[in-house]
Amino acid sequence: MNTLIKLIALCALTISLLVSSNASATTFTFTAIPDEDESQLRTRFEKVALYLEQKLGVKVKYVPVKSYSAAVTAFRNNQVQLAWFGGLSGVQARRLVPGSQAIAQGYEDQFFKSYFIAHHSTNLTMTDSFPDINQKTFTFGSKGSTSGRLMPQYYIEQYLQKKPQQAFKRVGFSGDHSRTIAQVQSGVYQVGAVNYKVWETALARGKIDTNKVSVIWETPAYPDYQWTIRAGVDTEFGKGFADKVQAVLLNMNDPELLNSFPRSSFVNATNKDFEPVLTVAKKIGLID
Amino acid sequence: MPQLQPMKNTDYPLGYWQKVTLSIWLIALVILPFADIEIVNFDPFLELSLMTQGLMAPDFFATEYLFQAIIQTVNFAIIGVCLGLILGAPLALIYQHPIVSGCCSFLRAIHEIFWALLFLQVFGLSPMTGILAIAIPFAATFARVFHDIINQSSDRPLESIDSRADIISRYTYGKIAQVLPQLMAYTRYRFECALRSSAVLGFIGMPTLGFYMETAFKQGNYNEGAALLMIFVAIIGTIRYWCPPKLLGVYLVIACVTLVEIPAVDSSLLVRFISQDILPPAFANAASFAEVQWYSLYTWFSDIITGQAIPGAIATITLALLALAATHFITLNAHALASKHLCPVPLTWLGQLMLLIGRCVPEYILAFIFLMLLGPSMLPAIIALAIHNGCVIAYLAVRQNNAIAPQQMQISKFNQFNYHIMPSIYPNIMALMFYRFEIIVRETAVFGILGIMTLGFYIDSSFSEIRYSNALVLITCTALLNVVIDIFSRRLLKLPQTSLASC
Repeated sequence: MNTLIKLIALCALTISLLVSSNASATTFTFTAIPDEDESQLRTRFEKVALYLEQKLGVKVKYVPVKSYSAAVTAFRNNQVQLAWFGGLSGVQARRLVPGSQAIAQGYEDQFFKSYFIAHHSTNLTMTDSFPDINQKTFTFGSKGSTSGRLMPQYYIEQYLQKKPQQAFKRVGFSGDHSRTIAQVQSGVYQVGAVNYKVWETALARGKIDTNKVSVIWETPAYPDYQWTIRAGVDTEFGKGFADKVQAVLLNMNDPELLNSFPRSSFVNATNKDFEPVLTVAKKIGLID
Repeated sequence: MPQLQPMKNTDYPLGYWQKVTLSIWLIALVILPFADIEIVNFDPFLELSLMTQGLMAPDFFATEYLFQAIIQTVNFAIIGVCLGLILGAPLALIYQHPIVSGCCSFLRAIHEIFWALLFLQVFGLSPMTGILAIAIPFAATFARVFHDIINQSSDRPLESIDSRADIISRYTYGKIAQVLPQLMAYTRYRFECALRSSAVLGFIGMPTLGFYMETAFKQGNYNEGAALLMIFVAIIGTIRYWCPPKLLGVYLVIACVTLVEIPAVDSSLLVRFISQDILPPAFANAASFAEVQWYSLYTWFSDIITGQAIPGAIATITLALLALAATHFITLNAHALASKHLCPVPLTWLGQLMLLIGRCVPEYILAFIFLMLLGPSMLPAIIALAIHNGCVIAYLAVRQNNAIAPQQMQISKFNQFNYHIMPSIYPNIMALMFYRFEIIVRETAVFGILGIMTLGFYIDSSFSEIRYSNALVLITCTALLNVVIDIFSRRLLKLPQTSLASC
């Protein structure tokens, strides 16, 4: 028994050696996942960090993350104080850290929408009314995405009066908007829901064969991506810091920086703007 | 086949392995009609041609911070294995205790990705998350395999040691000394596994090669993805050149120095995680114990079990059993291709390369590729699991059978292989397969993230909906399922207690 205690003590010591404290508390850290083109994340967003650093006068660092839930966790744990969230992840993050504020959104995010796209073999075409997609195979984007999951699922439940699992023959989560397009285009799924901006960009770049896949419906407008700043930054970085960050974001007009998101500009936002997202998330049971 | 030549291993009645083999296939055939293996794809050629183009023209310069990613992949693996050794080796000595072995098999049953997702809540995107996610399941595996190896050592040397010697000396010189080479060899093999795990952790955000690999494939940048896969295969294929055991200590020091910065651990996060996050909503919302609504707790729990855990477990078991049969098929074929007893030597190099690629490419990536080609059923996952595990087993089997000296008889190579080599190593292959079965069940979890509705799918959903209490219940179910399967298959098969590298 004695040896066991010694062993445990040894293990604890090893772990504690690994956990040397070397955090720099004064660095302002942010994270962002763009809705399209996730390649070269660090290279692109370190430029944004540099811009913020110059304008804010504090050390700014960018942390790359893989998913919305990882971004929310980092925000909640105070590992990032500012985040470019999707509609849903922003709402989740602000609920977990009360007092946090949405301070800016992309110009396009005030009236964002999702497209429903279908493979040509379904013979579905663009309609104003909700398309007849009962018992088709259907793919969402990422599980935590507003435009790829939350809003499409809400409208499916509204119009078909069924949960997606009952409404469709097969339901998938492609994990990413570009994947959704690729999967519907190659017929892996018959119908899919995709962020309209990602679709438009891919179309402009000639990555979509419109003979194979086309838009069949678009959702009504809803608010989406926004910058959210954590409660308590004013005590950590000085009074009025949140306002300063907001001003700096709203004044960001270098196209190269804006392209990383990609948005044409940032406009004012408040927590209240995202109440529709919260209501919808509660309705479909993503938030209790 | 084997009954034509009496087996060397007389522990088993004649025909035992035929029965086992037939039952694997029989089970697979029985559940096949219930499994979802539909091929749904209309235009796979577009994506296929893009993938081929990517493979033909890999772009090694598309990835940012590539060198850092390689270094971190190696760092996580080295530190993870060393920590796993520190924690696991002492446990091997007390592994016979049912509580210790039970706990170890529970810890082992949880996939690295889920460990990482749990630690992510406490440590955040810190290297601690990745290192512990590797170290904990590895420690549990080391404990079991080291225990098996030490148990097989002979007690003779102990008798020749002076009985007045202290217990530590007696044990070290009498027992451990004779199996040290086996322990070292196994540790080396686990290092390869750790490199794979380290890359896989990139899929959920650790700064390793997997981080960029997942992005590249997800975004359809196959040129970049192919380059990353090639780099990864090269790293694993050349371990013995760049990481001889003697240099391991040096690498450990380098790893500790070059590891990405570890942010301070905030103990309040741990407290919050335990006292709040993982509690069922009925407890978390109640101010005092008296206010707990037991009925809502009951509905919450039964909803998870009936709505997620049971369907998830059924899908997991179906997938694992079909994958087992497919693995058997791949193992036998791949093993034959790389065996020097059957093929001419230059051809075995090709076979070896195939085995290397098959066991290095993460299952997730394999399944991803097959998903694009075959559609979203269980089929891509079955193929991915079969290729990966088949190649691992074939690789280990080839190492064993190359040590067998062929009999000097006037028979063709083909007959020699079928009637001499195969019968003598078939029991080993089958034992390896059952060791891998535990891992196949574990790995089905990864496909949940790709959308195949195993238990992993529901766990991944719980994490993305920030419902950690649900995730914890499901992870526990997964671990218990693995433990039960492990016990069941051992009892049923009366597997020999030989220690074989399980990874």
